[in-house]
Amino acid sequence: MDIKLDLLRQNRHDMARLWKKETGGKVVGVFCCNVPEELIYAAGMLPVRLMGEKEEASEADLHFPSNCCPYVKRSFDQGLKHRYDYLDGIIVPNTCDMVRAMYGTWKMNLDIPFAYFLEVPQRISPRGIEFFRERILDFKGGLEEWSGCEITAKAIEDAIETYNLNRRLLQSAGRFRQDGLLSGVECQNMVISSMFMPKDEHNRLMGAFLEEAARRDTPPLGVRLLISASMLDNSDFIRLLEECGGSVVADDMPAGSRYFFYSVNHSSDPFFALAERYLVQVPCPRKMLPRDRFEFIKQVMEETGAEGAVIHNLKACDCHLYEYPYLKKMLQDLGLPVLFFRGEETEAEQETQRDDIEAFIEMIRG
Amino acid sequence: MICAGIDIGAVNTAVVVLEGDRITGSRVLDSFEESLDPRQVTDLLLEKSGIRWEDVRAFVATGRGRNGCTFAQKTGSDVACQARGAYWLFPSARTIMNLGAEASRVVSLDQHGRVISFATNDKCAAGSGLFLDSMAHLMNLDVSEIGEFALKAGSAIEVSSRCAVFAESEVISHIHKGESRENILAGLHTAVADRIFELSCKLTFMPDLVLTGGVAKNIAVVKLIEKKLGTPALVPSNPGIVGALGAALIARSIRE
Repeated sequence: MDIKLDLLRQNRHDMARLWKKETGGKVVGVFCCNVPEELIYAAGMLPVRLMGEKEEASEADLHFPSNCCPYVKRSFDQGLKHRYDYLDGIIVPNTCDMVRAMYGTWKMNLDIPFAYFLEVPQRISPRGIEFFRERILDFKGGLEEWSGCEITAKAIEDAIETYNLNRRLLQSAGRFRQDGLLSGVECQNMVISSMFMPKDEHNRLMGAFLEEAARRDTPPLGVRLLISASMLDNSDFIRLLEECGGSVVADDMPAGSRYFFYSVNHSSDPFFALAERYLVQVPCPRKMLPRDRFEFIKQVMEETGAEGAVIHNLKACDCHLYEYPYLKKMLQDLGLPVLFFRGEETEAEQETQRDDIEAFIEMIRG
Repeated sequence: MICAGIDIGAVNTAVVVLEGDRITGSRVLDSFEESLDPRQVTDLLLEKSGIRWEDVRAFVATGRGRNGCTFAQKTGSDVACQARGAYWLFPSARTIMNLGAEASRVVSLDQHGRVISFATNDKCAAGSGLFLDSMAHLMNLDVSEIGEFALKAGSAIEVSSRCAVFAESEVISHIHKGESRENILAGLHTAVADRIFELSCKLTFMPDLVLTGGVAKNIAVVKLIEKKLGTPALVPSNPGIVGALGAALIARSIRE
């Protein structure tokens, strides 16, 4: 099953093209976990998370200095290499400086018919939620104007239900991972595939996958690890951790629990419910203050019995790197050994990382 | 019982044969210069020590090339093997600084010799043994003599660049200005010691300090680290074999 999930990521462009051909719908590229994808889905479009590939960003390198986010750069590189030619639009939230800059960069360099900039507040507060609710309403209006179709209340309600079901299924996958029924790699591949597949289709796939996983014998787990990371848009790093004798049982990552951990509450005002969920969700360090994120990490650590924490921050990810010293201190104060990497997620890096990971696992085993 | 450990590093390959509590043979070879693979290095050592392959009960490999070692029953990380070897030589060791050709690492141990934390350098070459090697080459000196040269300096020049490549051009401009080799080398050694000191600041430092790895043979690096940390350093007579020794000790514990 793991191989199939890997293949899904590899074939994501062909899958999107096929979906477009069969449905005649629009495909919309999305950055980050702050965009309420439900509205795109409710408009009959397919939201796909923009991702890069582990190859030389030869085209994007001509546009960016070397000290910028490798994830954002590689995603743009894919655009420049015509791999995202099927996109009808992109949605760019003001997550961090690099992602924010992608609004203009994509618009100026690629032939994208529709580009929308979504303002997301930095502060989690009642006023922040109210502000974001207004922006979500504007976003709905923008999608309607572009497509020429109204997004009905019923379609939004159905989309919220479909997305909540996907979150519940991914949460079950998270529990299976904790019990050893799923590996960390399988779990992350599930999250990543959810980011570009139509959610109803992904829900069916997940249902079958979890049913099969539930019948497995529980293999002995390796050293139980929590991973906290900035964007990891493939499962290679988690595979490395598990090859070295670790078992990833919990995470704090955009392509992980931040994507599925909290559901949208049913409420009379779906826009308020969406604003609340997307703003208050497991917080990304681009929001103030780190307290809520740290509380979440502490809680999952205790629930999953993590024996060590691995922090992986992409080079130039200021948001995550600024919070790293405080996160490290919090984890160490709880008695948890911490291993830290800052890199670009390249193949060459993995060999030196392997040395440190093996030493870390040996140290925990004692 | 005879056990052995091999440390396949970025430049050197070291082998240690252990019989009971006694090191019966050890050898360090420059893998590039000698054009020998790990198996051939081990063959030479065993032959010299009068030991047959079949008498070696367990073999453990460490170092960057450990996963390619086909004759080892087990592999151990550099951190674990350096810690094991240094603690066996000096049971008072609480901090190990392993100064290798490519990697520098600092390891903290508890009183039982267990690793409690560690830090390794990033992928940058500045501060590594290979950095000193290339600087020695630049000044027409052998790497084994640059430490003594640096100690004779009147004053150390400041090497502002932290990058090995830029440091080279900086050194060239100092040579052109007529700066003495001693002063330039003192500056370079200070830069190396600073990098290792910064690495050690990531951990809680505890004496006794043990220095291992080929760079620990460099007297200027040793003295500068001692000065920076304000504590004497224990240096094994052959610091380049400590990783292989640790691997041999792990091999022994597999059989016990």
